[in-house]
Amino acid sequence: MIRRGQLLVTFLVGAAIAALYFIPHYRAQALNSKLLEWTLIVYAFALILGSMSLWNSHTKKVRNRVEGWGYSLVTLSSLVVITVLGIWKGVGEGTPVGTIYDTVNSPLASTMFSLLAFVIASAAFRAFRARSVEATLLLITAIVMMVGRVSIGPIISPHLPGITEWLLDVPNLAAKRAIALGVGLGAVSTALKIILGIEQSYLGKS
Amino acid sequence: MLRSGPVTPALDTRWFDPTRLNILIGVLLFTTFLVINLFRARGGRELYVRPLAGLKAMDEAIGRATEMGRSVLYVPGLSDMSEVGTFAAITILYRLAQRVAEMGCDIDVPCYDPVVMTVLDGAVRDAYSKVGKPDAFRPGCVHYVSAQQMAYVAAVNGYMLRERPAANIYMGSFYAESLLLAETGATTGAIQIAGTDKVTQLPFFVCACDYTLLGEELFAASAYLGKEPIQLATIIAQDWAKALAAAAVVTALALAALGNLALMKWLGAA
Repeated sequence: MIRRGQLLVTFLVGAAIAALYFIPHYRAQALNSKLLEWTLIVYAFALILGSMSLWNSHTKKVRNRVEGWGYSLVTLSSLVVITVLGIWKGVGEGTPVGTIYDTVNSPLASTMFSLLAFVIASAAFRAFRARSVEATLLLITAIVMMVGRVSIGPIISPHLPGITEWLLDVPNLAAKRAIALGVGLGAVSTALKIILGIEQSYLGKS
Repeated sequence: MLRSGPVTPALDTRWFDPTRLNILIGVLLFTTFLVINLFRARGGRELYVRPLAGLKAMDEAIGRATEMGRSVLYVPGLSDMSEVGTFAAITILYRLAQRVAEMGCDIDVPCYDPVVMTVLDGAVRDAYSKVGKPDAFRPGCVHYVSAQQMAYVAAVNGYMLRERPAANIYMGSFYAESLLLAETGATTGAIQIAGTDKVTQLPFFVCACDYTLLGEELFAASAYLGKEPIQLATIIAQDWAKALAAAAVVTALALAALGNLALMKWLGAA
């Protein structure tokens, strides 16, 4: 009975949202905006569950002294400090939470992001090993692309910039569009499966 | 004397946007294909779906993890419930968790979005119950990490390096973190299977993973893993729609070459 109710709500809301995409009437769009606002309420409640999950998983690690439990202690301390400071002093520019965000969180995130340069190099090294015909083609294309896009390219050959443009605009774009077409159809298929109740795994335990 | 006041924009009072007629027709045709194939599946007709190497490898990955006594790491992407890629990640995890439960292996699912975490937790619990092993479900195996991209990456990479899961499976919508995760996973020697609907991230996964599901294969994966005829019917409908789209593109191109741009304009390509 509960499962049927869940499926009915999914069908009605899914069909309504799909219909609203085709209706530009201001009342319809206001309803659309209202429905989207409701998702924020759901998110707020889910965030409480998320925080509880974070707390439980890390307290268990600290209690059992598993490998790397010190990191869990840092996570728990940060969670408590940020929550208390956020409630006590507020959030935003000039508050303690804002200062911690700017001086600790942002530099740490930038450091993680900068690692991308190194992992790109190691991944490229692995991908460009000419082990097969396809990998060799990839290697040659990559060399042409890299040389053709820098200032030394036209000096080596005046045709290189044109070749790189062609590679980007013809074979690359064709493959990207083919994948994008498949993704679009797959997305519609998944949406229809959910609206029509063919796919029910997201509903969880009945 | 001229006076000016606030200008109120004209309110749209149309009940249908004619510029979206082509999309509506496309969706209606797709729905028709879906209904036809659902009837074919219900009629007991055998539906063939070409095998996908990445999905065949999932069983191998779970088997390897079971033999080694290590866990399977499932990363469901960094999007919320508004992304269809997240739904694909949920449906794939549901089938994967059934196989994990059957084989008696452990699974760990770190989440980026608290709503997605709640849904995934329910799906994994249901999967364990479905195969008759509700007691084998480990509470906390689906857990929240962080809603900040790089904090999430740091936590998952740390988990990979400390716990050394035997299989890393990345399914869903990924962004700049795709290569950071996949490359760290590759250094641990785990078997890696990825699938994403984000075209810009596909090359990174292709470079760093053993198997990659490209675009639409992500959406077909749950139907393929489930092998239920009704689910397979949706893939056939998808293939019919793809054939129709390809035919429309070729016809539009031929007409454009002959100087008639009407179909191309209607499709929104000119």
